[in-house]
Amino acid sequence: MVSTQYFIKRTAMAVVTFFVVISLTFAMIRLMPGGPLDYIQSQMAAAGQAPGEIAAEVERFSSINPQEPLWQQYLTYMANTLQGNLGESMWYNDPVAEILGNAMPWTIFVSIISMILIYLIGISMGAFMAYVEGSRFDVSWSTVSILLTSVPFYVIAVVLLWYLGYNLEWFPTSGHYGRGVEEGFNWEFISSVMHHGALPIASLTLAGFGATALAMRGNAIQILGEDYLRVARLRALSQRRIALRYVARNAVLPMYTSMMISLGSLFGSSIILEQIFQYPGVGYFMYRAISARDYPLMMGTFLFITAGVIIGVYIADLTYGYVDPRAGSGDREAF
Amino acid sequence: MKPSNDDDGGTDSTTGDATDERFDEWTRAETDGGSVSRDPSQSPFDIVSDVEQTRSERYRMVLDSMIVAPGKILWNDWRAKLGFLITFAFVLIGTVGVWYVDRSFADDGEILLRPFETWAHPLGTDSMGRDILSELVHATPAMLEMMFAGALFSMGMAVFWGVFSGYKGGSVDRFMMAVADIMMTIPGLPLVVVLAAILDPSSPWMIGIIVVVNAWAGFARALRSEVLKLRHESYVEASRTIGIAVPAILVKDILPNVMPLIVVNFVTTARNVIMMAVGLYFLGLLPNTGPNWGMMLQTAYGQGGVYRPDLFHWFYAPMVTIVILSLGLLLLGQGLDRIFNPRIRARHAKHTGGGDSDADGEDEESTSNEQYNRGGL
Amino acid sequence: MTTNESPTQVTDTDVDVADPILSVRNTSVTFDMERGASRVLDGVNMDIERKEILGIVGESGSGKSMFASALLDAVVDPGVIDGSITYHPTPEESVDILGLSTRELKKYRWAEISMVFQGAMSSFNPTMNMRGHFEETIDAHNENYEEGMARARELLSDLYLDPDRVLDAHPHELSGGMKQRALIALSMVLQPKVLVMDEPTAALDLLMQRSILQLLHEIKEKYEITLIFITHDLPLVAELADRLAVMYAFEFIEVAPAEEILQNASHPYTRSLLNATPNMSTPIEEMRPISGSAPDPVDVPEGCSYHPRCPLATEQCREVDPDYHSVRHDHEAKCFHWEQAADAIPFTLPQQPGDSHSDADSDAGAGTGVNN
Repeated sequence: MVSTQYFIKRTAMAVVTFFVVISLTFAMIRLMPGGPLDYIQSQMAAAGQAPGEIAAEVERFSSINPQEPLWQQYLTYMANTLQGNLGESMWYNDPVAEILGNAMPWTIFVSIISMILIYLIGISMGAFMAYVEGSRFDVSWSTVSILLTSVPFYVIAVVLLWYLGYNLEWFPTSGHYGRGVEEGFNWEFISSVMHHGALPIASLTLAGFGATALAMRGNAIQILGEDYLRVARLRALSQRRIALRYVARNAVLPMYTSMMISLGSLFGSSIILEQIFQYPGVGYFMYRAISARDYPLMMGTFLFITAGVIIGVYIADLTYGYVDPRAGSGDREAF
Repeated sequence: MKPSNDDDGGTDSTTGDATDERFDEWTRAETDGGSVSRDPSQSPFDIVSDVEQTRSERYRMVLDSMIVAPGKILWNDWRAKLGFLITFAFVLIGTVGVWYVDRSFADDGEILLRPFETWAHPLGTDSMGRDILSELVHATPAMLEMMFAGALFSMGMAVFWGVFSGYKGGSVDRFMMAVADIMMTIPGLPLVVVLAAILDPSSPWMIGIIVVVNAWAGFARALRSEVLKLRHESYVEASRTIGIAVPAILVKDILPNVMPLIVVNFVTTARNVIMMAVGLYFLGLLPNTGPNWGMMLQTAYGQGGVYRPDLFHWFYAPMVTIVILSLGLLLLGQGLDRIFNPRIRARHAKHTGGGDSDADGEDEESTSNEQYNRGGL
Repeated sequence: MTTNESPTQVTDTDVDVADPILSVRNTSVTFDMERGASRVLDGVNMDIERKEILGIVGESGSGKSMFASALLDAVVDPGVIDGSITYHPTPEESVDILGLSTRELKKYRWAEISMVFQGAMSSFNPTMNMRGHFEETIDAHNENYEEGMARARELLSDLYLDPDRVLDAHPHELSGGMKQRALIALSMVLQPKVLVMDEPTAALDLLMQRSILQLLHEIKEKYEITLIFITHDLPLVAELADRLAVMYAFEFIEVAPAEEILQNASHPYTRSLLNATPNMSTPIEEMRPISGSAPDPVDVPEGCSYHPRCPLATEQCREVDPDYHSVRHDHEAKCFHWEQAADAIPFTLPQQPGDSHSDADSDAGAGTGVNN
């Protein structure tokens, strides 16, 4: 179903996007007046180091040697980045890639579970609302969805943290698993992870499923009014088949790409979320990096998150071609 | 037949009286608007397609659809009305309100007065004795500026990018859309945070722009596909054929038709700006510049606003404010979306017709809710 | 509702045919709306003869689509249908369609009487290929799969489609004409005895319309079905149909063999309709649009529903709803002035071009008249 041309186009797009993002990062580090590189250099100079030593230090931190010509700096940076060398954190004195590599799984865990819940709850809710359109259930849940959507997730996070964390003490208020719990595939560890992840996941899910439910409701209502649905009913197809093959499939498909995009924004929101819950994922380190003006870590996190999103979108694009027969014939207009 | 439970024009026949006088020189057995082309291959009843419009007719339609019909729908729909009133109230507070409420400084009142205890400080005071209501009110202008700047920047970029690209087509279009795709892929919040850290912005305008720095791309794409559709409308093709310059066509023929989309997205973007900016202030990722809801949150949070009941009123006041504003903008955006949704507008505007369809007539929900799925926050 | 105090005044003989496959008696469809009940089908009577092609003509909003839906008891919610529709699978048997249970109705629809919608372009599930549509239809009616698919292939070939290509295609990969033909094949895959087609050619270009019509004729001959063809396009259906029924204001106002209508239409509305129909050979000055607008289903005029637009309207027309008057034994017109109609509203058929009637227009009178 997916044409080779579509595959090539999408792959090229992902690669180009990646290069653009790396270049953008380089530009932000190197070219901004008063930007990261200047800052690092001045820090070193203030510490009283010799210019040659400074250059070496700067290169260690940022993968950029300020004494080389600009184009060479760019190439070195590009090469380093592609090899996974994101420089060294000035605050933690550890390689950025290592810090992020350890933090990444936690952010992915929270984001993906949240996304699954958002779409699971949102889609079933929306579909049901559409089926009973105009009923009390529909009206009240539409209102709730709108209300929840208009509350920023960090507000929900703070309220949950206060009520369930500090007040009722049902959930821990920081960390990703209990102190002293041994990492590994054992019940104690898994339940501890779940316990610690529950509030962050709940915040994202509560703030997010309303919008999905409303979108699904709109799509499903539209499809319930389509000609092909009427024809399907006249052809005496079973309710089950109509609900699954006709309504659900056609209503969910347009949401598929936005689902992958939303994974990106969930990733991004980790910066705020993980700070609130003191959850040591990628976002937590990004926050730390910004507070400490730890530019290598900051830019590395940015690259890391962006790369994750690019891969997510790429996977979405490719798989979309398999789930929707119409994909590939047109542009990605869905969002 | 269109079984509609609407009171003003469910079936096309009921719109007849309105259209009669427009057709008195050329009355036909059909009753809907638009001068149907007199292609001999068409029967007099064939009304569904091929409705051509002259420009004056179109302006009348634009007027009808931009002012008369929206007004009706706005006041008929309590959600849109509520959204409009909330938004309007905030604008009032931000412009007029600041003249009526004095700015509050430290030691204006007792420390941490509870809300509703004294009329001097209806919402209580913070840990430095500042009046919370006053702080909320005086933060409003900067917040409005932020929203306005962000939305304006976003729309400006999107309109330029989308309309130009859609109209030009060819390799220009491909290039511009590739750029938009890349911009769209970069996750907003991390980019904003990095930019804010490097640029250290202080003016509300600058912050507003940074906060939605790449949000225009998605909308530019939506605009472009709209323009692509319009390009093939007969009046646009006519303008092109008679040699009207591209800028003139864009301004006169294209822009009025994408205006509704722009207005809806303006409101949606404004909402994203405020949610994003307050979130960043809350975390201290934006520099402190004067009174600000996010800063209030941050200070209260820093002193333990989450678990200290004596701080609750200080901590929750800005939070509730943001939620109300966000709700208002969301409702307004959805309301506007409904207003401009052709299927719903058709029931309220005069110059529309319907086919002999017995399809459903009850679906009032727009499908473009998807836009609310995009925003990061 | 203001008119039609007694639709029963019409006797069965008015619309009787020798061997009806469907008999519609006093059937109404109403929608409750805020401003009153909207009666979009108003006590209609109609017999459909076995293996005939019946053309139903009317303008937008005259109730013709509603009539089509009524035949399958498929009126959309919240419409309410009453009256009686009897189906005769053989001349001896009869089935009361409106009395069928949901389950029986499912067996009846599509298998006995099938329907092609006006929206052929959107009648297919966009995310399913054509094979899936045929398969699920066969499956839902518990038909033999191999036989059913063989029939589908034969039907597709009969409609000049390549079965292999079409079955594997998704709807968006087919052109409008192909989709239309595939939909006809789909509607006939269970070998129905009656096929109702509601504006099947509306979205197609002229050339495609003609070829679909030609195909329908061939298909009808081969499979010996009864065809009900609903359209706004009188000349188009006149070529195809054996009999024509003209609808106005939610009821039939004239029924006659196609040739008879073209030669000797007796209802002023039918005559104006023939006049209003543009044709390649009709000069633009001679086209006669019908003035006024179609009645509102909530508020049908008192008396004859056509009187506000009728050049022949008299006091009687304004007060009393006319009966059917037999013009010939198989030609009924619901008008008091059917004898005068021919003189008052002359029309030119494309086949017999020539004499201009511009002088006749001036005395058409009664405030409406036809103008240009």
